[in-house]
Amino acid sequence: MSEPEAPKRWRPTRTNLVAGGTVIAGFLLIEVNWWFFLLVAAGTFGPGILRELGWLRDKDEFQRQAAHRAGYHAFLTVGLVAFLLVAFFRTGGTMEHPHRLVTFFLALLWFTWFFSSLLAYWGVQKTAARILIAFGCVWLVFTIISNLGPEWTGWAALLLHPLLAAPFFVLAWLSTRWPRVAGILLLTVSVLFFLLVFMRVFARTGGPGLINSSVTFIFFVGPLLASGVALLCTGKKSECPEDGEEVPMTRK
Amino acid sequence: MRPRHDIRILVRRHRLVWGMTQQELADRVGVTRQTILSIEKGKYTPSVALALRLAEVFDVSVETLFQLNKGDNDV
Repeated sequence: MSEPEAPKRWRPTRTNLVAGGTVIAGFLLIEVNWWFFLLVAAGTFGPGILRELGWLRDKDEFQRQAAHRAGYHAFLTVGLVAFLLVAFFRTGGTMEHPHRLVTFFLALLWFTWFFSSLLAYWGVQKTAARILIAFGCVWLVFTIISNLGPEWTGWAALLLHPLLAAPFFVLAWLSTRWPRVAGILLLTVSVLFFLLVFMRVFARTGGPGLINSSVTFIFFVGPLLASGVALLCTGKKSECPEDGEEVPMTRK
Repeated sequence: MRPRHDIRILVRRHRLVWGMTQQELADRVGVTRQTILSIEKGKYTPSVALALRLAEVFDVSVETLFQLNKGDNDV
């Protein structure tokens, strides 16, 4: 019986490289002129537009369906929030610098599309576990670096602060074993953060602070909230074990 | 994206009998390995065209690979 074949690692395609390079170039050239921000748009949306026009055929049917589904999810999410804001403004609500809402909508659009894509490719539990591991690693690195900085706070702090990353790893493990339990915990944490942090900022700063906090919320709490909702909806215990190659048997 | 749970998918069984890896099968029918993986796990229902190409590779009918489920799913 032959050894199982290791799954091929993801490699960026030519389209990925060109699009990614365009996005990076756009962000760098913003310092020169903000109109270069359109390069970011070109890199982000260009490949999708070319695919819809039939000029780029680099994805198979599964990938195309995943992209369409992610776009539909982004449409639903952003549309719902847009209606909420229209109702808010039409009923007399005001906000300083409402043009900053564009940043909020772009963040929400991108995050919804990206998370939906991850769910399509990895499944719910693997997506949630990897997001939580990523959060834990970032927190770990952040706490270690900050404790090793110029303001040395002692060995106790260096050893104890990284332990705060432990809940992320525990939740990552839980999400693969008991997804609903992990989902409930993630939702609870997200709601608490919303009430204790986000609402406080809103009460204190009003419009500008609200929009900036909303974008921060999307990128820092959004993954946890979305993972929690997805885990609750998965409705079953552990999915199939690791996605790996099957060991092929010889044909009889 | 999630297929109806009344379809029994036997792609993996035939692939193993033929001694193919997922990547080899993917190359034969012109899709990515991820697509084959998702089909075998029951997470994705292929198009008619892809189902026909899979059946052609294994020299069987489409109904042999994809069956209406009357019991537990084979995946």
